[in-house]
Amino acid sequence: MTKRNDTHESTEVPGDEGNPAPERGVNAALAELAASVRGFGAFQMNACVRCGLCADTCHIYRAEPDVANLPAMKASSITSVFRRYHTFLGKRLPGLVGARELTAERIDEIRDVVYGRCTSCGRCASNCALGVDLRHILQVGRRMCAVAGRIPEGLQRTVDNQLETGNQMAIPQEEFLSTTEWLSDDLKLEMGDDTLRIPVDEKGKRILYVINPREVKFFPLSLMAAAGVFHAAGESWTLSSKVFDVTNYGFFAGDEASARELVRRVAEEAGALGVEQIILSECGHGYRSFRWEGPRWLGREYAVPVSSVVELLDEYIECGRVQVDREKNAERVTLHDPCNLVRLGGLSEPQRRVLRKVTLDFVEMTPNRENNFCCGGGGGMLSMSEYGDRRVASGKVKADQIRATGAKIVATPCHNCADQLIELSKRYHLGVEIQAVVELVYNALC
Amino acid sequence: MEVDGKSIEFDKDGFMVDPGLWDEAVAAAVAVDEGIDELSETHWKIVKFIREYWKEHDLAPPVRLICKDLGVGVRDIYKLFTSGPARGACRVAGLPKPDGCV
Repeated sequence: MTKRNDTHESTEVPGDEGNPAPERGVNAALAELAASVRGFGAFQMNACVRCGLCADTCHIYRAEPDVANLPAMKASSITSVFRRYHTFLGKRLPGLVGARELTAERIDEIRDVVYGRCTSCGRCASNCALGVDLRHILQVGRRMCAVAGRIPEGLQRTVDNQLETGNQMAIPQEEFLSTTEWLSDDLKLEMGDDTLRIPVDEKGKRILYVINPREVKFFPLSLMAAAGVFHAAGESWTLSSKVFDVTNYGFFAGDEASARELVRRVAEEAGALGVEQIILSECGHGYRSFRWEGPRWLGREYAVPVSSVVELLDEYIECGRVQVDREKNAERVTLHDPCNLVRLGGLSEPQRRVLRKVTLDFVEMTPNRENNFCCGGGGGMLSMSEYGDRRVASGKVKADQIRATGAKIVATPCHNCADQLIELSKRYHLGVEIQAVVELVYNALC
Repeated sequence: MEVDGKSIEFDKDGFMVDPGLWDEAVAAAVAVDEGIDELSETHWKIVKFIREYWKEHDLAPPVRLICKDLGVGVRDIYKLFTSGPARGACRVAGLPKPDGCV
């Protein structure tokens, strides 16, 4: 908690100490807004002409066509405040230009919009006729809520877990070690190789593999599969029992100080272990935040290259470093593109090349790649119970896409999407199984 | 939801608002919502293990403990609870939703 409080204090306005909490929150949010609209940021805030073409781009609006879910309207909860404080007319004749004063109540309205009606998937921004980055505007809204101390409770708890215990599920180090030993034992039996073990805290290996804590606590099959594939490839790799969490809930929350700290820990651990490369497990926002946002937060590039495990799997198969048999995955498989990995992370082809090599009947859903629809679980939505009903409702768009493929298995290189897809399968009676890409590769090993 | 004349409230994620009101009838009702018409002996073993662990530690148990202590295969648990240990088994056991990416 200490770290979080430090974060908040650093954003307070000088001379603000004597003010009551809500007023301090408003001032901190206004300071964050002011810092966000320098230069190009101001253009973004002023450019939306409310043509409404973004309506159909948004999975939340499509599932529930309420004007409150229209991306342009969502953005206007923030741009109206921008106009009030940063434009000539907004300062003098606010009523004329729809400019609105920021109050504690309005921060809560913004909070409902930016966390509860938007998954930061960016589909509206990439389809905007004017090129307005609505996703960025809504992210500014998240940052304003964060400095005002109004991050939703479930999301805040997850950030606190990460900062205080080193991982989002507060898994103790001993539990991590016991789980990797247990998985090693199971893997030995499955692969029929007694020498096999999952390496932990080993120095001088080629790769540091960073995972989603969900793979330790609740869904270890993907970690087991990765260990199996690395073993088959003769890879030199290790996990870290201290820094193993690829996720970054500071990023979801709009709390950049926490986000920076989480990224710093992984980069530092890679240095301490002396690895040549960091490989990130299948995690959409983990990839986006570590690979792309991290160097910006830290103000420097990493000392070693960073890739997603799907790129490594692609390399193994292309080079013949592992042998696979497509017949072993005979059922129809489709692929869900995680927004943070594909549209916002730039990684769309390796996972497809891999799936075509390890499955017999791979079909695309429509639309796909950078124009995919969010599953509805992005933006930290899965950690915020208060929006659970909206999350499941907005997943109808994805459920319809999946159903149309006739697939029995949905592969997705993101553990967060996987949880949402499991729930969609149940709620929309899709009868599909959700798997990580690495699980299908492991299953296809010869 | 009405279970045996008791009114049970769930949050928007489908987890019990007051885990203290949990009993076997509630478990059976949530299981039906999970697509499990009747909880088998193994289901019950898992549910009760999770419940006891939670009462002691105020946390959901890691899947390792469920599997090792009860002798359940790691691949079998996802067949028994298709939503997995968190949104499936923990929900049937009347726990609050575990934090994070689940």
